[in-house]
Order: sequence, then structure tokens, then C-alpha cells
Amino acid sequence: MNISFNWLRDYVETDLSAEALGDLLTMSGLELEGIETLGPDLDGIVVGHVLDTRKHPNADRLTLCTVDLGGEEPVQIVCGAPNVAAGQKVPVATNGTTLMLPSRDEPGERVAVKIKRSKIRGEESNGMICAEDELGLGDDHDGILVLKEHAPVGQPFATYLADEGLATNDAVLDLAITPNRPDATSHIGVARDVAALTNRSLIRPEVAIPEVGGAATEQASVTIDVPDECPRFVGMIVRGVTVGESPAWLKERLNAIGLRPISNVVDVTNFVMMETGQPLHAYDLDKLADAALYVRKSQQGERFTTLDGKQRALPEGTVMVADGDGYIGIAGVMGGAESEVSDTTTNVFIEGAYWDPVTIRRAAKALGMQTDASYRFERGVDPTGQPYAVARAAHLVADLGGGTLVPGRIDAHPKPHEPITLTIRPSRVATILGTEVPDEDIARLLRAIGFTAERAESRTMDAFAEEVMRAERLVPAAEEAVEAGLAVTVPPFRPDIEREIDVIEEIARLWGYDQIPDPATTPIPLIPAGDTPEAAVLDQLRARLVGLGFRELYTNSLVPTATAEQFTVAELTDQALQGVETLNPISQDMAAMRPSLLPGLLGAMAYNQARGAEALRVVELGHVYGRAHDPQAPVEGYHEHTSLILGLSGPAQRQGWDTDARDADIFDLKGALMHVLDALGLPEIVEVPPTEPGALTAYRLVLEVQGQHLGILARVSDALMDQYDLQAPVYFAELDADLLASLARREGPTRYSPISRFPAVERDLAVVVADAQPVGPMLATIRQTAGPLLQDVRVFDLYRGDRIEGGHKSVAFALRFAADRTLRDEEVDGRIRKVMKVLEREHNARLRS
Amino acid sequence: MSTDPTTEATPLDAQIDTVQTEIDTAPLTSADEAEAFRIRFLGRKSGAITDLFAQMGAAPPEQRRALGQRLNALKARAQDRIDSAQAALAASGPSAATDLDLTLPGRVPAPLEPGTLHPLTQTLQAIEGIFRGFGFSIAHGPEIEDDWHNFTALNFGPEHPARDMQDTFFLEPPPPEGRGVVLRTHTSPVQIRVLEGQKPPVRIIAPGRVFRNEAISYKSYCLFHQVEGLVVDEGVTFADLKAMLHTFARAFFGGDVTMRFRPSFFPFTEPSAEVDIWWADETKPGGGQWMEILGCGMVDPNVLDNVGIDSERYTGYAFGMGVERMAMLRHDISDIRLFYENDVRFLRQF
Repeated sequence: MNISFNWLRDYVETDLSAEALGDLLTMSGLELEGIETLGPDLDGIVVGHVLDTRKHPNADRLTLCTVDLGGEEPVQIVCGAPNVAAGQKVPVATNGTTLMLPSRDEPGERVAVKIKRSKIRGEESNGMICAEDELGLGDDHDGILVLKEHAPVGQPFATYLADEGLATNDAVLDLAITPNRPDATSHIGVARDVAALTNRSLIRPEVAIPEVGGAATEQASVTIDVPDECPRFVGMIVRGVTVGESPAWLKERLNAIGLRPISNVVDVTNFVMMETGQPLHAYDLDKLADAALYVRKSQQGERFTTLDGKQRALPEGTVMVADGDGYIGIAGVMGGAESEVSDTTTNVFIEGAYWDPVTIRRAAKALGMQTDASYRFERGVDPTGQPYAVARAAHLVADLGGGTLVPGRIDAHPKPHEPITLTIRPSRVATILGTEVPDEDIARLLRAIGFTAERAESRTMDAFAEEVMRAERLVPAAEEAVEAGLAVTVPPFRPDIEREIDVIEEIARLWGYDQIPDPATTPIPLIPAGDTPEAAVLDQLRARLVGLGFRELYTNSLVPTATAEQFTVAELTDQALQGVETLNPISQDMAAMRPSLLPGLLGAMAYNQARGAEALRVVELGHVYGRAHDPQAPVEGYHEHTSLILGLSGPAQRQGWDTDARDADIFDLKGALMHVLDALGLPEIVEVPPTEPGALTAYRLVLEVQGQHLGILARVSDALMDQYDLQAPVYFAELDADLLASLARREGPTRYSPISRFPAVERDLAVVVADAQPVGPMLATIRQTAGPLLQDVRVFDLYRGDRIEGGHKSVAFALRFAADRTLRDEEVDGRIRKVMKVLEREHNARLRS
Repeated sequence: MSTDPTTEATPLDAQIDTVQTEIDTAPLTSADEAEAFRIRFLGRKSGAITDLFAQMGAAPPEQRRALGQRLNALKARAQDRIDSAQAALAASGPSAATDLDLTLPGRVPAPLEPGTLHPLTQTLQAIEGIFRGFGFSIAHGPEIEDDWHNFTALNFGPEHPARDMQDTFFLEPPPPEGRGVVLRTHTSPVQIRVLEGQKPPVRIIAPGRVFRNEAISYKSYCLFHQVEGLVVDEGVTFADLKAMLHTFARAFFGGDVTMRFRPSFFPFTEPSAEVDIWWADETKPGGGQWMEILGCGMVDPNVLDNVGIDSERYTGYAFGMGVERMAMLRHDISDIRLFYENDVRFLRQF
């Protein structure tokens, strides 16, 4: 909300600068977002005295002037204005001054011109005698501005203007108005806070408010069919108005806050709205059929043309103002084109109503219109402020348009405002704020912003009993009963204040948050603090991956719908859920929720590859989303879980003094993943080769734990690489991190087991199997068969070639056995024989000779 | 007698012959082999052909043209082989994938350079660490929320203009038309989820991702992260809130922090405040500026009543801060989009 500093000072005296006032308001709840200085820059302009004039010898239209600028010697200035004459006091731009002169080429534009000593047609000129428009004071360019005779020679021109009461500069404060402060959407409203904060009085313009009834009620009528939506409708009539341009002062006020002046009548309604916060509407009375106004709801399928010339379909039930023929305005939002005040209007009907805030908010939303009026009505205007505002406007219209106010007022008032009274307990103020605000200060602060505040007597036993019955609790009420509080009446322009706590907030903001001292200590409840065990697992996972050189990414949760569809496939998860889309996306690129972290990972990898990065190891932990029926879900119908993705591309090892360069492959990714999962101590991970091919992966491996789908490990398909413009193969693993975390969760700390003092026994076992026999299941067989003595098993060689038969490969395992005793060779040999037997049976393996 | 230098066999020719034989005989029956082939011969860093091209510069100038032609032919031959092998592999479908035994154990790659936690994670961990020190537990909630938790229980009336303060992504229309399922606009719904399941004393922070339907610019993104704080107990006051946040700011920003509490409005707290810290900047008039870091206030009694907690007996405070905002201040970052671009040249710095 723009507040003009000059305008504000019509309602409150203050010595503060605009900046200081802005700070004060910021610290009491009206945040200053910016400040703009308006008006011309008059630095370097001084009052000059034209001592003498003579014709320029080389130019007919130019005059040579001798001008006293208050310096030691008068100077010569060349002037082109026809009205310059000896004896005049004039504004002079001295040498070195920069003026914003109207552009000759582009009307309405201004260009900076620096005034300097120069020769004009051979004659020296020291400065420039200025016209009104050249100073930015108006549009007049008929001649130089001639000042009053008593203007002091040499005085800065700005000082002269100020002394004459012709302040030209203004500051506009842009205040952020929070939804709880409808009272602050006007100059008087802000002035009220200023007055309260600086201990001054609020000066409201005196307005003679006509009594209800009188001639006005004979010349027009108002009928309200919907009293809940329109509790009050006030109207006054001004006859014999000449619609025309507003006077300079009014235009200046509106221009300052960014409102375009239109005509005296319209400008007055806008002015009074910005002054009082009460939106008004002016109708051409002669265009109102039967001079009768009705407030009622629209029917289905109706249309209406608003005064911006747009025809709008009215949602059914929109509250409308109508005359004898039809609609003339959308209540509280915008008037209609037909009944609008025009140049030929002579009789004006001024409306000021109180509309139900929810009704206006719904209408404005449904119509997609927010106007200065709807903004105020939906927050709640003063339900008692209509007579004052309408009378203020009617008097101004009569004054400025030369019209006559018809005596009396129309005041349809089906639902009178009932003031709210509250009891404020000083003890409660202290309980909330943590500091004591003296009772008399509470009363003083509240009165300053329009409350009444009286010391309330202790409640009677009857009232106490009643309260206990109502609250169904004894102790607090009993305490309250013995405490004499402060009975306050909430002013009608504060509809946001309904409870004691609302008043405590007012006390706090006026008292000053900075006046509330920090305590030196604060109590802490003795409950163990910490994160969830699951979150701790994920933190650990992240830290370990960083240790392996992975970089953490944060990618967008919102993706294009096509991407969401492409990545919602069973290939990535065990089951593809239906996608989630937003109803009101910012753009089609961000219309759906990501079903997987893969698209974000691929985007980030391509982005970096395109910028020359080769070795990429990245990790992200983030939510993925889908629709699912799950009664346990926080929001029924939706599924979200934390996903973990690892990505790897480019070199796994660089050329070094004793190392060769090597590109990463899927086993580097698998190694990294299994390494960190191993550290979490998960139950056994089962590797399941997929049966179905997929479009997104060239090949993949499914990981399961205890029969649950944990995730996949894969290489991105060539088609997907092309789609994302990836320059090197990308390997990734995406896992359900929530499942991971719950599986890794430990109840209590690890229990120590004694370290064996006996040496371990190592055995190698080389077998020949068919080429197609995967090694993973053989490892699983060995672990299951070798018994509890087996500590570890590794694959240390894999061979295909001439030395074994075609279509076969040799796989060599290293097994390590240990126990809390010395192992006998026969015991270990027996284990090995058993392992070999099962390998033969299950995997068709034979011992390599 | 003169020898035409352009036709004379060079040492490089011999190497080309060797590589050509290797290209013709290398196995290309699986995707893995194809990839190994590509790296071995055509790799941009250490591929054999790339290597030969590099050596060409050392050959006598008059021979280079002929060598260049041979090498280009060699490269084309290698590319042909790999193309036809890949086409064959693609045609043979999934069976090609089975050639690669993914069940073989992985190998742990040595780090090439130190990894990095994202700066937002680092900032979040710093914030969490400070509050843990003050006895706060950490709570989590869903990013897809319902109207009750995101708005109504937090005292946003169904038609209150305060709902316009947060530009909301809807998944289902707001009541009365629908259930008002939204992408949570703040972490405050975790307050409700915690209070629905826990009686006072409550002392938690809730970090997480939140969404706003705002145009993307250097200062706003369609999503960001918040840390919510909530304390509910007997005798909790606004002065306690001030002291806690003051102590937090000193811990987070280090040393003396000049801070101010401005009255503000949030439907779920009353009194409400926004907190600014003084950010020294010699280029600014006045030697710095106030930077908003968080919003806070005393828990509105309606919120406690909504979750069945006696608001006469218990009071509480809540606060919420933007993790991006804190990270930007901490690391002197001026464009929020950098966090989501994931440029390693940016990530590497943290």
C-alpha cells in the first residue's frame, strides 16, 4: 500500500522524516518495503532578480538579461522567453545544474541537460531562467516562471517554495499490509498508528454528516434483499455537478500513490477510499432506472459489463447492485459501464456500503478480479464508517464540481454492527509476553488506537459459576475470577480482533517487541532429544558416499508430465504408481511430481558433461511421489517416500604414475553401493536378474531384501542417453531409502563379541561352470553351505579362454574359515567338499583341474 | 635414385597395422565388450586410434596426409564394427544383457576427488546441530499435505485472505469443492502432526521441502526448504522465544549479531514477528541492511485447541526459517537457482 508522506501529515503532526517514520511503522507491524522520493530535483536552482534586459544583437527572439543571483557580481543570461522583463524575480538554474528538460523529440519524455557557461549566438550566458515545465513543476511552457516580488535573491528555490507553502517534494512509503490490518489500508488508518506511536492526536477532517432521511430518500431508494451479504448501504446525492478535471492538489495526492486522475467525481471517490479505507462508488443518478437501487444475487447464466468495458459471465449467486432495469455493479468489486459518471453527468449518487468479507472474497476469486475495493472489503472495512466516508465525498464533489448536496441520507442498515467487548487479564499479558506491562500502560496504548479500556470489577460468584460450567474446568477460571481485568471495547475498524490474545498482540506491538527483555536462561524439558533413527541412517549413508567422492545433488521435485509418465515404469520400481499432477502448474515443464530421482540425475549429469565435467559421481536423497491406495498414508490416496539415487559416469581411475586410466562400469557403481550398504548392516540383499527388458536401462539388476523390492542397479539405455544428450555411459542405482533406513534401524547399541585368538584358515576353490551361470548365486550357495565357520568368501579370478573348454568359464573363490579354537584341516576340508558337492548339484560346477 | 617419401612405410604404419588386426579380431558379442572396445580404440582420452592421431604430429610433414587417410579409414572401420555389433546386440534384445553377469561382486572405486554434501544439507545440518544442543528433537512430515494440516488446523480460516499469502500448488481443489490436497507451502503442518500425536512438553524442529507457486527468479524458486520449530509447555513466553532465536543467531552466524523483532502476521501465531539481522555491507548506504531470516510467534490458542491441548494451561512458540536464505547469507550466494542447477563447479566449493 502506497502512503504519501505529505498526505499522511494532513492527519497527524510529526517531526519525523519519511525514513524515520518508515522505521517506526516497520517496528510496529506495518513493514516499510520501500520509499520513493517524488518531485523535481531543485538543487542548483536559486531565486534571481532580473536587473536589466536588452535585445540580443544577433537574434530577434532572444533577450540578454543581467541577473542578480545574490553573488558579488550580477551575471549575463540569454533568455528566449517572451515574458522576461526587468524587475522580475525568477528561478535560475545556475552553472553546473542538471535539469531534466522536456524532450523535443519525444513528448512526455525528459532528458538530462547540464547547464554550463556558454556562448549563444556570440553572447555569453551563465545559467538559465526557467519555465514551470523546465523545473518539473507543471506543464506550462508559455514563459518563464515569475516569482513573488518579495522572493529573497539568491535563496535556494526549494526553500522559497517551502516558505510559500508550495512543497513540491513528497515521499511515498510502500507499506506491506498484513491480512490482519484492514484498518491500515488508508492514510487515516496509518496516521492513527503514527499518532499512537508518537503520542500525538489523530486529526480527522471535520465532516457534516447528513441525518438519515430527508430529501435524499425521496429522490432515490435502496432495497436490500440479502442482509447477510450487505449489512449496510449508505447513499447521498449531489445535484448540479460539473464533471471536469480535478484541481491540482487532488491530482497531486492521487498521482503520488500511483492512481491516475480521471475526473473530479471519480477522483474524489478514490481519494476518500485512500483517505478513510472505505471504497465508494459514484453513479450517474439520471442513468439509474427509477432512481432505485437493489442489492440481490445473480441468477445462473447472467452476464454483466463492468466499467473497464469487459463483459463478464457472473457466477451464480454473485451479489449485485441493480437499478429498476438491471445490474449496475458487482457488489464490492467493480461498477458497471452504463451507470458510470461521464462528462455529461450532472447528478451524482454516491454509494458507500459494508459488504460481507467472505462474500466479496468469493466473488473476486470467482471472477478473477482484484480491485482496490475488493481488496479492502474482503479484509473487512469499518462497518460503521460509511456515513462519514460518503458525506466526506459528497461535500468534496459538491465543492469541486460546483454542485449542491441534497439534504439527508439514504441508510439501509439491516444488520447493525455490534461492538465486541473483551476482558484483558494483565496476568495473561505477562504469561504470553514474559514481561510485565503496567496496567495503566496497557490502557493507554489501547486507547491510543481507538479502544475503550476500563478496569473491570472482579466477577461475581454467579458469573464465576457460569464460567466454570461453560469452560468445564475449574482451576484457571477460579484464578481468573479473582483477577480484576481490563474491560476493552474493540473499535469497529478492527474486525480482526475477537479474542484476548488479539488484544495482547496489539499491546505487544505498541509496547515494542524490543522492550521485551531476553531472559538469561530458559527452561528445557527433560526429554531426550534426537532425530528419528531412520534419518540418522540416511545421514550416515550420505556421509559414507561423500567419502567415496560422491557429490550430493538437489533436483526439482516438479517435472514435465511427459517425463513423469516416461519414468513411471515398473522397470525402476516394483510397481508403477499412477502419477501425481498439480492442478495449477507454473508451466508445463513443472506440471507433475517426479516418480523417480532418475530424470533429475540425468539432467544434472548432462548439464555437467556439457560443461566439460567427465568424472561424475553423484547422489541424491529426496522424495518421489505417486498415487496409491494406502490407508496408512498421511494423506489418503497419495504415496511418497524418500528415494536414494547414485550415479556414476566417466573415468573410475585416472592415468597416474603407476595407474592406468580406466572408465567406470557397472561394477564400480555396484562396489560403491554395496560398500555403503554393507556398513549399514542390512539383512542379506538378494540380487534378482530381471526377466523383462526395459526401455530406460540397457541392463539392470533388481535388489531385494526379505522379499521386498529395495531398488535397482543399471546402465542407462542408449535411447535415454540420446534423449538427455549424455556424452558417456551413466550407471545408476535407485533404492527405496525409507525401506533401507527401516531395515538398517538398530534397536540399541551393537553388542561386543570376543575376538578370536586362533588363526584363520584360507582355502581357494576354482570351479568350471557354463558361461551363462551367474556368479552371484554360487556365492550365495557357498555362504549357505559352508556353515558358521566361514568368515568371508571372495571371487579372486574369472577366466574364459583356451585353457578350458568352450562355452565355459573358470571362477576362483577364496574362502576364509575361523573359530574360537584351532581349526583342524580335516574339518575345513570337509566343509570344502560339501560346498563343492552343492555347487556341482545346484550350478553344474566341477572342480577345475 | 630417389624414394618417394609419401609412399615409404613409417614406424607409425606398423602400429596402424597392429591396431587394425586388433580391431578386426576383438570380441564384440556383448554390450560390455562393445563398451570395452569403444574405450580401447575410440576413447577420447586413451583410445588406441586417438593415440595414433596424436603421434601423427611427430611424423615427417610429407607423410602426414597419407597417414591421416589411413587413420581416418581405421577409425571408420572401428566405428563400423562397433555400430554393427551394437545393432546386432540391440536386435538380439534382452539376451544381450544376460551376457554380462551383474551378480559378480562390485569393486569399490577410489575417490577421484573429495565428495561434497550439498550446501543446503550442510546449512541444514548446522541449524539442526544448534537446536539439538538446545534439546530439540527432529520431526518429519509429508510433502503432499491435506487442507487440514497445511491450513485449517493452523487457523487459516476457509475464506481468510491469509490463504493468499502463500501461492499454493493444488493437487485437489480446495474445500468446499475438494479435499484441498496441496504441496505443503510451509513446514508448519508438521506442528499439527506432532501435536496430534504428542502431549506437551513438545520441543521439536521439523526440516523439509516446501513448495510455492511463484515465478522462478534469482530470489525465488518453485520449492525451497524450511526448518520449523515448535515448543509447547507450561510457562513458555515470547521472551523465551526471543532469547532462543537470539542465541541461535549468535551460534549460526557467529559472534555478536544485531537482531530485531518486527511485529508481523501469521494465522497460527499471535503475537507474530519477523526477525531481521543486521548485515554489514560497506557498499550500502548506512553501512549495511536488515535481512529477514525468519518468522515466528506465540502459538495461537486456536491451534492448540484444534489439537485438543488446553490453551489456558499451555503456551508455546513456533518459528520457521528458510534454509536457502540462511545458506545464501552464510555463503554469500546471490542466486537461489544455483542450488538446483547442480553444477559441480558450484558444488565443489562447499
